[in-house]
Amino acid sequence: MEATNGINRRKFLKITGISGAMLAVGFDSLAAGLSKDSVVKAIMAEDFVDGTALHPFVIISEEGPITIMATIPELGQGINQGIPAIIAEELEVDLEQVNIVKSSASRKYGAQSIGGSRNTRMLYTPMRKLGASIKEVMVQAAANRWGVGTSDCEAKSGMVHQKGTQKSLSYGELVKEASKLDMPEKPMLKAKKDFKIIGKPMPRPDLSLKVSGRADYGIDAQPEGLLYATVERCPTLQGTLTSYDKDAVMAVPGVVKVMTVTRNVYGNENTGVAVIAESYFAATQGRKKLNAQWDNEAFTKISSESIREEMLELADQDGYEHVEKGNFNQSQMDGSGEVEVLYELPYLSHTCMEPMNATVHVKTDGTCEVWAPSQRPQIQRQFASELGIPENEAEDKIKVHMPYLGGGFGRRSMNDSLVECFQISKELKKPVKLIWSREDDTTQGPFRQQTMHRMKAIFGEDGKPIGLQHKMISQAITTQGRPGRNRLPFEVMEGINTHYDIDNISSRFVEYTGQVPIHWWRSVFGSTNGFAHEGFIDEVAIQANEDPLQFRIERLRSEPRFVKVLERLKKEANWDQKLPDNEGKGMAIVESFGSIVAHAVFLKKENGKVSIPKVVSVVDCGTYINPNQVEAQLESSIVYGLTAAMKDPITIKDGAAVQANFDTYRMLRMNEAPRAVEVHIMENDEAPGGMGEPGLPPIAPALTNAVYDLTGKRIRSLPFDLQKV
Amino acid sequence: MAKYQLKINGNTHEVEADPQTPLLWVIRDEVGLTGTKYGCGIAQCGACTVHMNGNPIRSCSVPVAAASTQSITTIEGISEDQSHPVQKAWIEAQVPQCGYCQSGQIMSAVSLLKRKPSPSDEDIDSAMSGNICRCGTYTRIRKAIHTASKEISNGSN
Repeated sequence: MEATNGINRRKFLKITGISGAMLAVGFDSLAAGLSKDSVVKAIMAEDFVDGTALHPFVIISEEGPITIMATIPELGQGINQGIPAIIAEELEVDLEQVNIVKSSASRKYGAQSIGGSRNTRMLYTPMRKLGASIKEVMVQAAANRWGVGTSDCEAKSGMVHQKGTQKSLSYGELVKEASKLDMPEKPMLKAKKDFKIIGKPMPRPDLSLKVSGRADYGIDAQPEGLLYATVERCPTLQGTLTSYDKDAVMAVPGVVKVMTVTRNVYGNENTGVAVIAESYFAATQGRKKLNAQWDNEAFTKISSESIREEMLELADQDGYEHVEKGNFNQSQMDGSGEVEVLYELPYLSHTCMEPMNATVHVKTDGTCEVWAPSQRPQIQRQFASELGIPENEAEDKIKVHMPYLGGGFGRRSMNDSLVECFQISKELKKPVKLIWSREDDTTQGPFRQQTMHRMKAIFGEDGKPIGLQHKMISQAITTQGRPGRNRLPFEVMEGINTHYDIDNISSRFVEYTGQVPIHWWRSVFGSTNGFAHEGFIDEVAIQANEDPLQFRIERLRSEPRFVKVLERLKKEANWDQKLPDNEGKGMAIVESFGSIVAHAVFLKKENGKVSIPKVVSVVDCGTYINPNQVEAQLESSIVYGLTAAMKDPITIKDGAAVQANFDTYRMLRMNEAPRAVEVHIMENDEAPGGMGEPGLPPIAPALTNAVYDLTGKRIRSLPFDLQKV
Repeated sequence: MAKYQLKINGNTHEVEADPQTPLLWVIRDEVGLTGTKYGCGIAQCGACTVHMNGNPIRSCSVPVAAASTQSITTIEGISEDQSHPVQKAWIEAQVPQCGYCQSGQIMSAVSLLKRKPSPSDEDIDSAMSGNICRCGTYTRIRKAIHTASKEISNGSN
């Protein structure tokens, strides 16, 4: 592929993330006159979209093409298609008529962060209103042209028709006039029964890129003159850099600079040493010569064991109240039997397949171009203040590309790699790509929290539960680096179901303060609470001599949505069917992030090996956009959650994470994954619930409940080896 | 640094690199084909899978010196327009989520189907368990391989 003035067409298309078909402007005319060293004006994908923007999200060309900008970072959850689909529905255009273009990061697009399985939930109604408003101005424009009332007109497939006639006008023909009309404040929204797009399977537009190596991920950014960086950081996460051998590193061929960089992790300024070179290989070779020394004595004493012991000491404390229903302490005195057990889960790494990376070019003319594979890509104001750019010029002078993300899972909501890379580029005034090695990515955190759960159940004379307490001991995310808040952090009790009809329920949080940094991880505290809670509910059910699924149905009668999901699971999983001795089944149900998910896991022991032939899942996520994505996110959460349950933990030893790469921090692979996953989606008219995370909390307890069914062995500490049950 | 002639997807590229540079980085950064991905650097995850002389290799663990003059195929080279039966099956089954691992998955699947046009589930486990997918698309990959297998087997009749 010939380079034109140093800019390669294929690279260019990748950088801007737009398909060749979208490129209306002659490529050579753009590249003409640019030398390798000249400051290239940063060109964003939306710069190429021709037409009139009735709103930053919707651009309609007089020639016909309708573009809807996909403005939320796409990390595999399908949001790049889901949000445009909502707009298209009310706009009355067919998906085939729409070009979906991935936008840059810019405040003109509103909020562009992803996390908490929030976006569809938050944007559903606003995006419907947006599509409907634009449709209504189109109809008004047509009505004006024909001299008729809007009720004589009808919009369909990007055209407005005058009812009872052959007259029609396309949106392209109407857009100029429509752009002069005021958008209605309260547009009419369609009835669900009239939906043509929402709720139906729809093919994702990014997939053809992803099967041919053409999708632009952050790590693929290739501006001209790129330098590559790698950073050596303190193995114990915190510690002071005392020395390193700069000369030895500079002597390595290809190395151009050695400098320190600092990232802020929840209030701790962590300094590392960056090696910058003409190739990534040279940078990593240089890094091997660093011999960095750290003053980190204080941190070397920390271990998963020491953390566990400290948590255990806290388990008797009352902590913060979450829910107190009835009087649990009284029930302890009134009851005739008590069960008390401890559930525990370890630190985990996010382990996106694309390791952390960033590309930043702080240019000699004071502007900046960024490739930000981030869940929070609007980094302009932060960089502007570092560059002395006034805030009102930040968006003009700092352009931020939004590549595809090779996984996020929460980790990419921390922009530490962007900040490190920015510091390097600011120093060198050259484009720099910082890549975290897999070892860096696994060991440096921040991590999913390590937790301990003290579970207690009180039984009455009839052997039925009269009291239940879930006391959760852990660090909290939002209080790190912010001491003295003195109230229950909002995030920590996710996934603890206190609806169960037991007279006395107590759920409490005892805060542990630790040095190991933690962060949002797929389903956050749902991932740890769900395991303890639903594992213990199972124990209580069995202690009460009841079928675990039926126990839940009977005790969730006050919550019809839960009961419907459970009854559907009972049916679809054929729950009452007796299994042969070498098979087992377990189930769990958790509500998190706006949706209810129940899994039934089936296990089979054959030829000395335990496998997972099937998982049956039922989800109530209210109104959904693309059922294919609902299924895909469930399949995804199941594998992510099973990995967490069965594969390696992050063990802290002498202050450092032990597991570094896929040889010691192993992942679930094709051969150990469930052979079949069946998904059943509840149909109702409830508001949309999240889908990126809710499938995760119930999978680990469903699995260990199945292990109990198969073997009589109760697993209360993760991870465990399925082959050793 | 040394100069190498790399034959990739039917084209010859002259590159200059340290002989020990993993082929992965030369393909990505010197030749500019970024479809092949870095996932681990120790041949454990499969994201870097390319074909050398028709066989799947982990390009993160092959020095460029060893790849010189060999015939290399990357994800960009298996078709001009996503028309390879494996690519078509991948789209039909809506396999990719984040998609980062999928170049490697597809290269491994193409290789499997060349050796065994009608693989069993055990064959699939065996051939594909070297490729990690963090988004959990394994059941769809399996389904897509069976679909592609039908097209490939019919085509060869």
